[in-house]
Amino acid sequence: MTFDPLSIRSSFPILNQMAHGHSLAYLDNAATTQKPLCVLDAIQDYYRNTNANVHRGAHFLSVRATNQFEGARDTIARFINAPTQSHVIWTKGTTEAINMVTYGLEHLLEKNDEILITSLEHHANLVPWQQLASRTGAVLRILPLEANGQWKAECESYFTQKTRIFAATQVSNAIGVSTPLQTMLSLAKEQGAMTLVDGAQVVAHYPVDVETLDCDFYVFSGHKMYGPTGIGVLYGKIPALEALTPYQTGGEMVRKVSYQATEFNDLPYRLEAGTPNIEGAIGLAAACNFLTEQDRPALLAWEQSLATYTYKRLKSEKSIILYSPETNTTLVSLSVSNIHTMDLNAYLDSQGIGVRSGSHCAQPLMTELGIEGTLRASFACYNTIEEANRFCDVLIEAIDILGDE
Amino acid sequence: MTNFNIKEHLQACRSKEETFKALVTLSKNLPRLSEEEKTDENKVKGCESAVWLIEATMDGKRHFKADSDAKLMRGVLVALLSLVEGKTIAEIQAMDLKAELTELNLSSYLTSSRTNGVLSIIKKLTSC
Ligand SMILES: Cc1ncc(COP(=O)(O)O)c(C=O)c1O
Repeated sequence: MTFDPLSIRSSFPILNQMAHGHSLAYLDNAATTQKPLCVLDAIQDYYRNTNANVHRGAHFLSVRATNQFEGARDTIARFINAPTQSHVIWTKGTTEAINMVTYGLEHLLEKNDEILITSLEHHANLVPWQQLASRTGAVLRILPLEANGQWKAECESYFTQKTRIFAATQVSNAIGVSTPLQTMLSLAKEQGAMTLVDGAQVVAHYPVDVETLDCDFYVFSGHKMYGPTGIGVLYGKIPALEALTPYQTGGEMVRKVSYQATEFNDLPYRLEAGTPNIEGAIGLAAACNFLTEQDRPALLAWEQSLATYTYKRLKSEKSIILYSPETNTTLVSLSVSNIHTMDLNAYLDSQGIGVRSGSHCAQPLMTELGIEGTLRASFACYNTIEEANRFCDVLIEAIDILGDE
Repeated sequence: MTNFNIKEHLQACRSKEETFKALVTLSKNLPRLSEEEKTDENKVKGCESAVWLIEATMDGKRHFKADSDAKLMRGVLVALLSLVEGKTIAEIQAMDLKAELTELNLSSYLTSSRTNGVLSIIKKLTSC
């Protein structure tokens, strides 16, 4: 493999530290990734040289801040291949983006309309729809994908005339499988449903092209793609964004205000009430640039090779049950018979290895798999084979220590 | 294991790994609950692993039985119950259980209440 994770690692000084007396191995990248120096620098630079409120003051710093902030929006638009920057709405993250849509579309839903989501969703793409359904009398239906992401013959019948909205994740955070997105989106569109794609687990790894996907909304979080926390994106087609009732109102999003009425501003500002997260937007644009400058197919191949390598090493262990696929994924999700994932997690932590255990905000999926939770090691471009090996060795050690009664 | 031994055993730990192994050893001293005792009512909410806690007061003294599906939690329960077993509610409420657990090198089990819920267990131990 030509890709060298060690050279990229030097951009992530946080990785170079000890944890409980061992060198830190950070394998919780599906929860959040670390941030490269260029992102940290962009945020520092903003506060050192640019800070001012945007879209307001006509003065030197305000103009510079506005230019950088709107420039960041443009960078995001190019990163996901959106036609113009008006398609890019800043949010706190995936969760807020989905909530903006669920509140914004409420006025379009009637009793017995159907909202369809898949059986692999994160709570962020489930609970807001469930609440919307309970507010409007609409029905939330769950498309029963196989746990390996595969299509079941019966799935097609879930897309009907009644389906008003279809929302699906592109990649499952809990078990790492990709969903049959194109098939689902075409079926939803045939029925005239609006579509939302949760790209939270996609953006750090795979190229995103919203034009080709042709969905109404695409949402993601900055912190999972080497960007800062507290910033994310709601992409939408213009008619879809225009259909949204602003779920927050106030300054910035208005054009004309009197005591009697308010005229809202145009997109994207209409959906961005209040002073935005300026540093976050600038930091996220720096993260996009960081990714664009890499050989992205090589990065992805590297991350997938780490997951596949780990999978292959663990598959011969008879007490380990693997839920993630062997290939085409960047994480490994597993459980061990008769040992709680929390116990495994604690031992890995004592050896400096950071992973995640639990339901991964996907409780209904865990129930379907008949387990309480899984242990998940998720890889990013800076992870090494040594770290994958350490994870396997220490996990096997943990099973040994915890297994004897 | 006597209370003194439990304390000594945990205080001797010099690293996260040693504490982990000590808790695994301690966990073996916890009598397990029967399936009938593992009711929803006995379940402590707010724990990522399932934890059940049963309290009975006799002659003013509190006696506890507990269980968990996670081994480390069973170890923590052995340590925690050794501190409160057989005491009156007033005595237990007068204790600073968080400080006592910290002395036993178990402070890391207190901080992340969201993932292991030891704080919820303490709350239940000290409530009437
Ligand atoms: C697939 C998926 N959707 C949504 C979210 C929620 O993202 P955030 O917490 O950044 O809003 C996550 C993050 O855990 C995720 O993995």
